[in-house]
This record gives sequence, structure tokens and C-alpha cells, in this order.
Amino acid sequence: MKTKLMGLGILALVIVAAVLYAVLGGGQEVTEITGLVGGEKLGLLEDEQVQDILRDRYHLFLDFNRAGSIEMVQEDTEGRDFLFPSNQTALEIYENVHGNPAQSEIVLNTPIVLYTRRAVAEALVEQGIARQEGEVLYVDMSLLTQCIESDTTWADLGLPQLYGTVAVGTTDPTRSNSGNMFAGLLANTLCGGVADASNIEEVLPRLQSIFQKLGYMESSSSDLFDQFLKTGMGAKPLVAGYESQLLEFAVQNPETWEQVKDDILMMYPTPTVWSSHVFIAVDEAGTAGIEALLDEEVQRLAWEKHGFRTGLYDAPSSIEQFGVPGVAAEITQVAPMPDAATMERIIAALE
Amino acid sequence: MKKRRKRCIWAACLLAACLFLTCCGMENSDGKGDADTVLGSGSQVLRILSGSENRELEPILEEFAEEENVRIEMTYQGSLDIMRALGEEEIPYDAVWPASSLWLNAGDTDHRVRHAESISVTPVVFGIRQSLAEQLGFVGREVSVSDLLEAIRSGNLRFCMTSATQSNSGASAYMGFLYALLGNPEMITQEDLEDPQLQEELKELLAGVDRSSGSSDWLKDMFLEGDYDAMVNYECLIISANQELEARGEEPLYVVYPYDGLSLADSPLGYVDQGDGQQEEVFLALQEYLLSADTQNAIQRTGRRSGYTGIAEENRDVFREDWGVQPDRVLSPFRMPDTDVLFACLNLYQTQLKKPSLSVYCLDYSSSMRGEGNEQLVAAMEQLLIQENAARNFLQASENEVNILIPFNDEALAVYTARGNGEELENLYRQVEEQDVGGGTDMYAAAMAGLEELRQYDLSQYTPAIILLTDGQSGGDFQDFQDAWEALGADVPVFSIMFGDADPDQLEQLAEMTNARVFDGRENLTEAFRSVKGYN
Repeated sequence: MKTKLMGLGILALVIVAAVLYAVLGGGQEVTEITGLVGGEKLGLLEDEQVQDILRDRYHLFLDFNRAGSIEMVQEDTEGRDFLFPSNQTALEIYENVHGNPAQSEIVLNTPIVLYTRRAVAEALVEQGIARQEGEVLYVDMSLLTQCIESDTTWADLGLPQLYGTVAVGTTDPTRSNSGNMFAGLLANTLCGGVADASNIEEVLPRLQSIFQKLGYMESSSSDLFDQFLKTGMGAKPLVAGYESQLLEFAVQNPETWEQVKDDILMMYPTPTVWSSHVFIAVDEAGTAGIEALLDEEVQRLAWEKHGFRTGLYDAPSSIEQFGVPGVAAEITQVAPMPDAATMERIIAALE
Repeated sequence: MKKRRKRCIWAACLLAACLFLTCCGMENSDGKGDADTVLGSGSQVLRILSGSENRELEPILEEFAEEENVRIEMTYQGSLDIMRALGEEEIPYDAVWPASSLWLNAGDTDHRVRHAESISVTPVVFGIRQSLAEQLGFVGREVSVSDLLEAIRSGNLRFCMTSATQSNSGASAYMGFLYALLGNPEMITQEDLEDPQLQEELKELLAGVDRSSGSSDWLKDMFLEGDYDAMVNYECLIISANQELEARGEEPLYVVYPYDGLSLADSPLGYVDQGDGQQEEVFLALQEYLLSADTQNAIQRTGRRSGYTGIAEENRDVFREDWGVQPDRVLSPFRMPDTDVLFACLNLYQTQLKKPSLSVYCLDYSSSMRGEGNEQLVAAMEQLLIQENAARNFLQASENEVNILIPFNDEALAVYTARGNGEELENLYRQVEEQDVGGGTDMYAAAMAGLEELRQYDLSQYTPAIILLTDGQSGGDFQDFQDAWEALGADVPVFSIMFGDADPDQLEQLAEMTNARVFDGRENLTEAFRSVKGYN
């Protein structure tokens, strides 16, 4: 008897569904496109407000899996409409492997920064490796690199509670973008300018040695950042990441941020590099994603809720809203990334 | 590219589908499948493949399951098994929860895991009987791995640890030893591993291992049942062991953090994306619950370091400083090598360095095993004895290990011995294949024949175990076996695999007396044999 009633219930629901479809459905279809995305953008793309705008204004739904920026452009693109890596080098590699995409466009920007704890930042300032301007902390990349190369221990910097030598934790540069860009930044530093075909060979052994000492590396920027926050100062004293990660975290987790904000600090390498998040439409269907993500309101949400700068240099609107001290209003000390051929050389050497 | 209809229609259909599934779910909700523990009784099922250390969080998970009307099926495996499961084409789970993100990262090459977040953190430490720790001078000062090694070498410290190739805590501890013996280099390299002196030293060190285990949680249980001095395990499990020891009025363990060989388990819980939005929502709800302030506090009370701001004042009574626990310690781990080097280290452990195992397989060939039972048995043994199969699970035999086969029915039918990892082992497999089936069942007789064989070896040089498979009620007498076991006077566990109509009480009785455990082979015999082998 119960089963019968249940059956009737289901029937009724199906009818309701059919009626709803007839009344509201019309021919309005939402197109779903499928692709791969760097982990640092998941928060933005999973944001319901963003998804609503995409659906209502552009009749678009993005279905995606997470993947490293470098990996995703090298893999087979079968069944994928778009790729959304986090730098322009990935686009160049894509073009080398697969030819020209249907379309591509930079939709978001964020600089590479270093994250650390107060005690470490203070020690770095004390040693003259970092300096503070107003509330903003800057790290001298060449001094920091010297420390790393000379096997300086944390204890040498006045931090005996930390085991081992000074290092910057990064994601695997052969699999993920933030690590890859940090490798580019280190290559620039070692070359004393922008690394290119003429000078890269000379510094590769040094670069290899720096990364060899890191051993195991996370393959995703978001995992690394999560671990930085949760495993504490001892496990990850200093890591490379995107500026957007902390801004997003502070906005999304205001209570937690309130508890930890005195201890967690962001430092801008001088010079730094831009991570330009480029949307690659693999096929025609994918191109719809570019238009949708460049929507003015999506771009505003990208900054205010997820910390992505949308233009270069200036912050799109007030930096105070994040409640994160030490955010630079403008990023002026920026070097270009090495070109794709040089980056491929670097990746090959680190593989 | 797929087309989607408008959302409201989806919602209506989903609702209908939910109700429909609810009805279906009710009909088959009594079968618990492969899961080790089922929490809650809801119709929506969330299958989690987890490290055994999370067993202690079951009450916390159960609360969620009941509130949300979800049924959580927990399957416990070692972190390395979880890594391998992620590499398979089919992953029959909705979520994975290994001890460390290291294994998740190494296994998830197809990027099917999403939303991975660390739930809590706990370091791998030494827990040493308080008076012994004092005697060794480890109390109230910083201790290095070398200090521990010296105590082990001099014979003053013997310890239990999990297998480095099966469990994260064992792997972490072993890597810490490696670093220390290499003089704490910046990073371990392949070349370092080839150094014969290093290998000798490690062998010597691992000879100090009293008992091994395939899982951290069971290591703790075993420790509590036996009479051992120390174990390498997670800080949270040492705390929980101490709570038990204190309740019994026994001496607690003192926690030692080797400052140059520390590693952290960050316990990431990740969603296995198989394209089912509804499952994803349930998963996210669970994760949100686990990361909420209240639950994080409850998790902290189990001795895990949770949250962003260290140990709360109110939980200091759990992280007891008189047990050596240092709630405010900055946990600064050594850096793990990349996965290629790590796997080379693990292979070396399995094939050369670990104390050789001495395994006596007592296998049931009684008439009830005829047909399918025997076929499954042969297939399972093929995974262990044929080395290219074993290598896939880091279960290869080492050069010095000994495997003994005793087929039985109502008596021990023969004894075949294989030394090392070469031809003799393959021949042993032929015997498994060719042995005739028939007759009654007396597992005690077979196990006693096994004990008799063990008498011929210096057991201190091996990790000995009897591995018993049976599918029926056994004749013979437990008391006879007990007398023989006691007469041998060695800590030889009798692990058993329950199959067919075996009597769980008989097997539990053996496990309890010998401080071993029973594995269920009824669902998947190969899996059960693999697990047992991981313990030895």
C-alpha cells in the first residue's frame, strides 16, 4: 500500500515538473561548456553570484575540473571546450602543442607574492632582506635568493624554532602555475634581468639546485595555501602564492581572518611578476566563456570577493574593503616573465 | 558539450528523483557492502575511503549522519592503498581521506579529487614508556633522530611501527631515519640510497622493530594489548593510548618530537568527482560541518591539532604536558623528497631493509573449499607470491624472508618452505595451485605444525607470523594450540582470514590470545591477503 502511494506521489511530481516545464521552460537553454581550471580560481567560478550572472545573462554553465596550468595545456584536449590556466606562457605552450585556439583572452590578473608569519617577516626585515613601506612589505628577491643558495638556516636568521634551511615553498613548477611563475621569477633574479635564450643556460644548474632542495612539492596552489594556513609556521614558514588567495580568504572567512590576521602577512617580491589568467577557448563553444567572464559585474565580483585585479597596476576599487593590512594599492615593480621558449627550457630542466 | 534546461525544471525533476531513490534506497539499505563501518541510516550514501586513524572521529561523523539523514560508509585503508585506489579507473568512493596530502597528490594524476581541505594536523612522534624515556634522558630536552637511533642501536629501545610501505606514519618515520643517517642533507637523492653503509645502518635500526602493522590505528590497539616499550605513531593516537593506559592505572607514554625528523599528517578530505552534483553537495555539507568552529573544537578534543590558532585553552587538558605533549611547539618538519625518490626509498625498505618476514601460510584445502573457494585462494596467493604482482602494492618479498606453506584439512598435509624472493617462491605458488582439495577442517593442527616450523629459526631476526585461512567450523582443540604457543614463548601473531562459513568466534579467540587480528575475506579474498601481508 505504502509503495503504491509513493508511486502516485512520484507520478504527481512528474506531472508538476512537466507543467513547470511548459509554463516556464520555453526554449531557453543553458549551454554547458567543459574545461580545466587552475585551482586558485575555483572560488570565483563556484561563486553562486557569478554562476547566476553567467546563466541569466549568457545562458552559460561552466563545468570544470581542477588541473595545473602547465599540465592542462600539454594534455590531450579531447572533450574540452576551454582551458583556464594562470599565465600567458601556458597559452604559448598550448599554441605550440595544439595550434591556435578558437580564441583566447586575459580575463584576470594577480601578482605573485610570498606569504609568511609575523615572526618570519620580522626576521627578514631585521636582516635587511625585506623592508616595510607604510604597511606594505617588500622582499628583495636577490638577497632572498642568496640566502637560499648559501644554505642559510632559519636559525641563522634568528629563528631557531624552525628546522632546516631557508626556502620558499612553492607548487611543482612542472605541474602548476604559481610554482612555475616563481621559477620564472627566480630565473630572472639569477640572470639579473629577464631570463632569455642568451643567459638561461648559465643559471639553470643553480635553479635546479634550488628546486632540488625543495623535494616534494604540492601540485596545486590552493592546496599549498590551505596547508600554509593550517599546518602552521613550522611546516610552511614562507610560501609563494597569488595575492588573490589571501584577499579571497579574508573576504570568504571573515571570522577566521579576524583570528589570524595579526600573524599572517603578505610580502611583495621586488620585482614580482603578474599572473595573467588567460581563458583559452579550445573550440567555438568555449568562446562564450570569454565574453561572460569579461562581464563588468563578474569582473567586479572577481576583485571584491575573490581578490583578482582585473586591470594591471591599479586596484579596481578600494583595498581597505578586504581588511587585509599591507595590500599594495598599485603594483609597480614588475618584471616580464621569461618568454615561452625560455620557460619551456626551465620546465624541462626541472622535470 | 551538453544542453541544460532551465533550473526550475531541474529542481522539480531532482525532487522527484530524490523521492524515487528514497524508495529504492529503503529496499536495499541493509546490505553494508565492503564498508568497515556504517554511520547513520539515511538513504543518501556517502562512501569514504579513509586512513584508519580517522576511526576515532566516528562519533563526530555519526552526529552529522544522523542530523542530515545521510549514511556514511567508512572503508579504512592505509594511505598508500588510498593512493593506489586513486590511480584506478573506477574509484568506488565519493571521498578520500588519507593521512597526508602527499599520497593524495601522488595518486590523483587524473585530477578527479576536488575540494580537498586539511581537516586537522597531527605530527608523527615517538611514544616511549615514561620511565624508559626518563632513563634514556629524553625528558625535558630536545631530542634528535640520532639520539633515538643510538638508544635503538645500543639495545635500550625497542619499538613498534607501521610498515613504511603500507602506512603514512611508518613511511614518515622511516624517511626521518633515512635523513638522520645521511647526516640531514638538504634533500635525499637516488645516489644516497645506494650507499651500502647507509643500508647496513638502516637494517640494524629496523631490526629494533618489535612488531609491525599495516595501519596506525591497529598499531595502537596492538600496543595496548601487548607488552611493548615504545611506538612510532601519530601524536593524536599516542594521546588516545595514554588515556586508555591511565584509565587502567598503567604507565603512560612520553611523547618525543625528533626535531630533525619530524613529519606532519595534514589529513586532507577530498571529493572524488564522478559528475554527480547531489553527492557533491552532501560531501560539501560534511566538509563544512567538519570545518565549522564547533566540530573543529570537538576534533581538537580527540588530540588533533585543528583550526588556525593553535590549541584552545579549554583543550589543554587533552594535550597534557606531563605526557611530553607540547601544545605550543612550532612543528617544523623535514622536507620530503619528490615522489620518484620517495618510491625508491619505499622499494628499498620493502626489498632490502625491513626486518625480513617469516610467514607461515596455513591454507584450508578441506572439501568445502572445492571449486570457487579454491580458485579465489589461488588467485589471492598469486598476488602475493608472484613478485611482479606483489611489487604493485609494495609487497615484494625480500632476499632474506622466509615463506612457509602448510596446506591443511583435518591435518597438516605438507610443509613447503621458500627462502628469499626468487625461484623458491614461484615454486611455492605452484604448490598452492596443485594441492588437492578434500577432507575435514582442523586449523589448530595446521597452526601447531606452523609453530613447530618456527622453532627452527632465530625469531629475533625475523618478523614472524602465522597467516591462517579457513572457511569452516574447525575441529581440534584450541587448548592444545594455546599450550603449544605458550611453549614456544615468542610473540607470534596468528592473523586469520575469515572465508566461507568460518566461525568468527574461533578466529577471534586465536587473534585475542596472540594479539593479532581477523580479516574478512568473504567480500574480497585477494584484498584480505594483501592487507594481512601488509602487517608482516
